[in-house]
Amino acid sequence: MSPQRLNDLIAKARSLPLPRESSFTSRLRSPAVAARVGVWLGVCFVLAFITGWLSHEAQDPNAWLALPTRPVWLYRATQGIHVLAGTAAIPLLLVKLWSVFPKLFASPPRRLRLVLIEILERGSVAVLVSSAIFQLTTGLLNAAAWYPWHFHFRGTHYALAWICVGALLVHVAIKLPIIRDALAADIDSALLDRDSIGGVPPLSRRTLTRSALLAAGVAVVATAGNTVPALRRVSVFAVRSGEGPQGIPINKTARAAGVVSLAQADDFALGITYGGRELSLTRDDLLAFTQRTHALPIACVEGWSAQGRWTGVRLRDLLDAVGAPRGRSVMVDSLQTEGPFRQTLLPAAFADDDLTLLALALNGTELTLDHGYPCRLIAPNRPGVLQTKWVSRLEVLA
Amino acid sequence: MIRFARVSLGLLGVIVTSVGAALLLGLGVDNLVAAMVWLVAGVVVHDAVIGPLLIALGAAHPGGKRWAAPLIQAGIVLATVTVVAIPVLGRFGARTDNPTLLDRNYVAGWLSLAAITLGAAGIVWLRARRTRGGDDGSSPGR
Repeated sequence: MSPQRLNDLIAKARSLPLPRESSFTSRLRSPAVAARVGVWLGVCFVLAFITGWLSHEAQDPNAWLALPTRPVWLYRATQGIHVLAGTAAIPLLLVKLWSVFPKLFASPPRRLRLVLIEILERGSVAVLVSSAIFQLTTGLLNAAAWYPWHFHFRGTHYALAWICVGALLVHVAIKLPIIRDALAADIDSALLDRDSIGGVPPLSRRTLTRSALLAAGVAVVATAGNTVPALRRVSVFAVRSGEGPQGIPINKTARAAGVVSLAQADDFALGITYGGRELSLTRDDLLAFTQRTHALPIACVEGWSAQGRWTGVRLRDLLDAVGAPRGRSVMVDSLQTEGPFRQTLLPAAFADDDLTLLALALNGTELTLDHGYPCRLIAPNRPGVLQTKWVSRLEVLA
Repeated sequence: MIRFARVSLGLLGVIVTSVGAALLLGLGVDNLVAAMVWLVAGVVVHDAVIGPLLIALGAAHPGGKRWAAPLIQAGIVLATVTVVAIPVLGRFGARTDNPTLLDRNYVAGWLSLAAITLGAAGIVWLRARRTRGGDDGSSPGR
């Protein structure tokens, strides 16, 4: 494109009936507010990025990072923080975008070299805003079990997290002098204000910033009951009340998994294999093993969690029964005939852990069908999707 | 010093973004197209709907009245938290086979939140009226 055509285009854009940056007169739409709300928004995004990355690794059996089996509540905490940080970021992002909205209508500079810099800067902001809205929207919807899209959620949400945080770093790099000046000066200082500002707004900048933080706090309290039992009563927007059969909510029912008849079949038997050795155990056989009870959380990737008292056979006892040595990973099969988690890999550290059970009962009563009858896996510090229900086969890998 | 910080932050940002771009492209063209629809729609909904709507609201706000500040503050909290609650208020993810999912009365929850927020705004206004005399004479801004 020639400089002449570019100038024509800019002239044309200027004549469109759009507001200009100078049309905005509120003192509240200022770098003073944007920088302060932005710091909190940055904290939320970094928290969500780190915890999200941990969750991604925890779900990947080939992860280069071996996740620990202790503390048992670690995944419950990190995934709770992940979803709550994203939730808190929604009010903050809305206020932040409001405070910088006039910048969208800023006139492009007239000199070509400056136009190119402007395009780069605006491009990085476009990537940041677009990916930030995408991450918060898809995360919010996913936590509420609403999936109205055609992309692969986990992979796309993970890829865009890198894009979003990368664009955030570029944005901070570009704006660093303004951020520094805005935070160093009093919030009411006119130092960085646009020329067009006039009049007294109905509330102060301090009040606006506090309102954004208050809204973020209210959003957290209104949803955190999903994972913090003490908040269940006040969390009016929690996706789950925390109630359910045997005191624990259900993520996927036996009907949705298509295992209703298979799980109740009279001839059900759990297969355990190691090398050439194979064992087939009915539910009564499993009950004949020493039964142990452990309090372990079930913590879902959607950010809800609940503590249960699980009773069953220590997994290591079953592996010993086929003579499998310690230090081996175990492939766990479900009766489910489809779904991405019908087969999961249990790393050796979890397979050998004393707390890992093949559970037969929950909170004192026999497992219900929706909780994984006839038997399910429950291990410390694992994402809920990997706590396989309706277990049909355990294969100790060589 | 600040120049060094900016350059390193910027370079790190470009690297991190590139990792994400590679991950996204690795998911295939169909996935990319489906994601692009949402990436673009999010910005359009904000810039073409929410932004202008808030400009209109800003132009209409009751500036100068003493109840304006607490009311706007309550509005910020209630409106943004309502955005967070859209998926549960609409119960879009509800499934007939799973009564443990979306098992609260969310409309009642919203009404109580609205009552508490507006009630708090009322209290703030009443207390301000008692402690401050006269109009503060502020005028509207956009």
